[in-house]
Amino acid sequence: MHSNKIIELKDISKSFFVASKEPGLKGTLKHFFKRKYNEIKVVKNINIEIKKGEIVGFLGANGAGKTTILKILCGLLYPTNGFISIAGYRPYERKAEFLNKISLIMGQKQQLIWDLPPIDSFYLNAAIYGIEKSEAKNRIKFLSEMLEINKELYLPVRKLSLGQRMKAELLAALIHNPNILFLDEPTLGLDINAQANLRKFLQLYNKETGSTILLTSHYMKDITYLCRRVICIHEGVVTYDGNLEKLLTKLSPRKELSIICKSKKDIESLKNLGLDIKNVESNEITLLIKKEDIKKTLKNILNKYELEDLQISEPPVDEIIGKLLTNK
Amino acid sequence: MNIKKYIKVYKLFNYTSLSIELEYQVNIFIDLLTAIFGLSGSIFLLSIFFSNTKDIGGWSFEQALIIQAIYTILNGITNTWFSPNLTEIVKYIREGTLDFVLIKPIDSQFWVSFKRISPTGFIEILLGFVILIYCFNINNITLNIDSLFLLFLTIGCSISILYSLWFLISTTTIWFVKTWNATEVLRSFLYVGRFPLNSFSFPLRVFFSTVIPITFITAIPSEVILGISTFWKIILEILVSLTFIISSRRFWIYALKFYSSASS
Amino acid sequence: MFNLTPYKIGTLLKTQYSNMMEYRVEIALWAISGVIPFFMLNIWTNNGLNDSLGISNIMLSRYFLSAFFVRQFSVVWVVFTFEEDALLGRISPYLIQPIHPFFRYFAQHIAEQITRFPFALIIALFFFIFNPESLWFPSIGIFILSLISTFFSFLIQFLIQSIIACFCFWTEKASSFEKLIFIPTLFLSGLLAPVESFPTFVKSWVYFTPFPYLIDFPARILSENNVNIFSGLCVQIIWIILFFIIFLKVWSQGSKKFTAMGL
Repeated sequence: MHSNKIIELKDISKSFFVASKEPGLKGTLKHFFKRKYNEIKVVKNINIEIKKGEIVGFLGANGAGKTTILKILCGLLYPTNGFISIAGYRPYERKAEFLNKISLIMGQKQQLIWDLPPIDSFYLNAAIYGIEKSEAKNRIKFLSEMLEINKELYLPVRKLSLGQRMKAELLAALIHNPNILFLDEPTLGLDINAQANLRKFLQLYNKETGSTILLTSHYMKDITYLCRRVICIHEGVVTYDGNLEKLLTKLSPRKELSIICKSKKDIESLKNLGLDIKNVESNEITLLIKKEDIKKTLKNILNKYELEDLQISEPPVDEIIGKLLTNK
Repeated sequence: MNIKKYIKVYKLFNYTSLSIELEYQVNIFIDLLTAIFGLSGSIFLLSIFFSNTKDIGGWSFEQALIIQAIYTILNGITNTWFSPNLTEIVKYIREGTLDFVLIKPIDSQFWVSFKRISPTGFIEILLGFVILIYCFNINNITLNIDSLFLLFLTIGCSISILYSLWFLISTTTIWFVKTWNATEVLRSFLYVGRFPLNSFSFPLRVFFSTVIPITFITAIPSEVILGISTFWKIILEILVSLTFIISSRRFWIYALKFYSSASS
Repeated sequence: MFNLTPYKIGTLLKTQYSNMMEYRVEIALWAISGVIPFFMLNIWTNNGLNDSLGISNIMLSRYFLSAFFVRQFSVVWVVFTFEEDALLGRISPYLIQPIHPFFRYFAQHIAEQITRFPFALIIALFFFIFNPESLWFPSIGIFILSLISTFFSFLIQFLIQSIIACFCFWTEKASSFEKLIFIPTLFLSGLLAPVESFPTFVKSWVYFTPFPYLIDFPARILSENNVNIFSGLCVQIIWIILFFIIFLKVWSQGSKKFTAMGL
């Protein structure tokens, strides 16, 4: 059966050679005469397969190798070894047919011409991708409606706010209707509203066009909102690849149960049930309970005690992922 | 390779960069003054040289002025097409936006060589032509079809050599970010192109025609105008310019390979 | 007034020196780009243009070598750095530090000159290999005097460019002013031809401008050509004071505008 996987990485590795320098005057002089080169393996034997239409998030601390993988995927870096295929192409050959299918958006870099209105950059890009003017016009109209951006397209880029600029960047990157989108920290520096709008747009775009989206982000919200699948990278190695929900269950198999009791006596008694306690505060107690045990425990407690209030919650995602990034 | 697409893109390049330049009108005016002062300065220097002697390296003042005119035209071309793109490429590397260029379905050398155009050199090109026509007058030169063809051919070759020199330096940006120092070296050596080659001592003459082919750039077109150029020199210039164009291409491809294996 | 202590100066110089060593290839190239005076010398002597001036070939070659050295150690590029810093928004953090921002640039220049020194020496060595007859050793006194006047020349150019750099507060591209100013510096300073050789109608006014004091005057001291050292140094000092006052004015106006509306 011809599978619908669009991206395939087998055993991909990437090394850089970096000159190192000791601090201070002595180090400088040493560096002058003899440079030491260190091999740094940024990506180690990575295997990834991605299906058409998926939204996949890359998670990892700074310097984990996310951006390097993304650059290998869009052909900007060639892998030191391994096999890579995207829609049947080798990205590092940068064939025009391949480039027509992809787009790259980087949160901290911009391709729009700074002194001119975004619309000029759009038409330039359209010409580069060989799109007729009338078609480009339709495309701009379609995307600007979706992005809710309009009169800003006629102001010089330098006069736009960061959020507006990002929208315009997206429009410039999507003008050629790419099938595969690479986003590197797209929400960097945006305020909460702008972040939410961007996420909504990406989700809608994925739904409407069936395009594949790969993104890296520091904001957990981006990932949890958009991606059902995540790939965790730590020091160049894939430490997890799969469903986000499952990852969360795996990392934190317990829920938090907060109970407010009428009497302090009940609290003392709850303490001695042999359950894990996260926190006790006067007449409030927070317990950690395995997800499969929650019904049974709850029943028990409700039968035995007179409660004022009760709340069941998931531990915050940021906390879990943060743990993942630092510990493992 | 789609010629029509490239023409269209090139037109848009020109449109966008001219729109940008027009945002800074004061600069255009200052650059214009700079061009005029620069040319006056060069002629002033030439006149100092000739105040003590009738000929330098076998060239009279009137003839040496032809070299000056050709130099001014070529310098204008450099300032219009070559050096703005060098500035731009340095920006691409420093800001990391070269990535955007590389993932576009267009030749990257085409992009980085022709993205920007600056109108500041136009005035120099114009001034250069004015002096050239003046030189035709004072030297009693009339051009026939043959020599006109040769003139365009040799100037075309000079432009190709100049372009390649600038582009080779631009390419080194991928290794050293502060390339403008290398540019200064090129600029200062090209400066020599204002004077007749024969005015230098023999070792320097060899240097200027082999290590850096400055002589090919201004001397041969000027000799064509005066009708004193020889056939083998023109053939040689064509060969040199071809070599330069090809090596600029090769070097760019090599640099990109380095960029995509080592950049971060 | 600039909040300077020896400790601050020392640290600043050291860091800038390490920084400049990182760019040693570029600085070497830059040193090479200063060889124009040698090409000019070649035209002068090869065509016997100096015969009617009454300067011998040896004195002329010493003059151009000195011009090369003076130029090497009076090159200024503050406007380009400042423009870049303004563009990238680095000025604000500099402004809130308890040291005048231009002193940072000043230290950069000094550090760059120190880095450049060996390269300039190598180029001079090559010059003497090709022109052994022009080898000379100036006396200590002459050497120190020329050092002082070269430093004065550097100061004048640094101040002029700093004034131009302050234009960044009003216009986005101050460096085009610099390119304009560079034209008379190139042709009138004596880098391409000794001021002595200029036609009389130029000589009559050129000494009222700062240009001959940038290259010609220090180079004449070093090459032991005829020159009135005392009056020359006085003129240099006058220009320094004048440009310093202008700089302070422009800087206070510019930074006032900067703090009022930002860049």
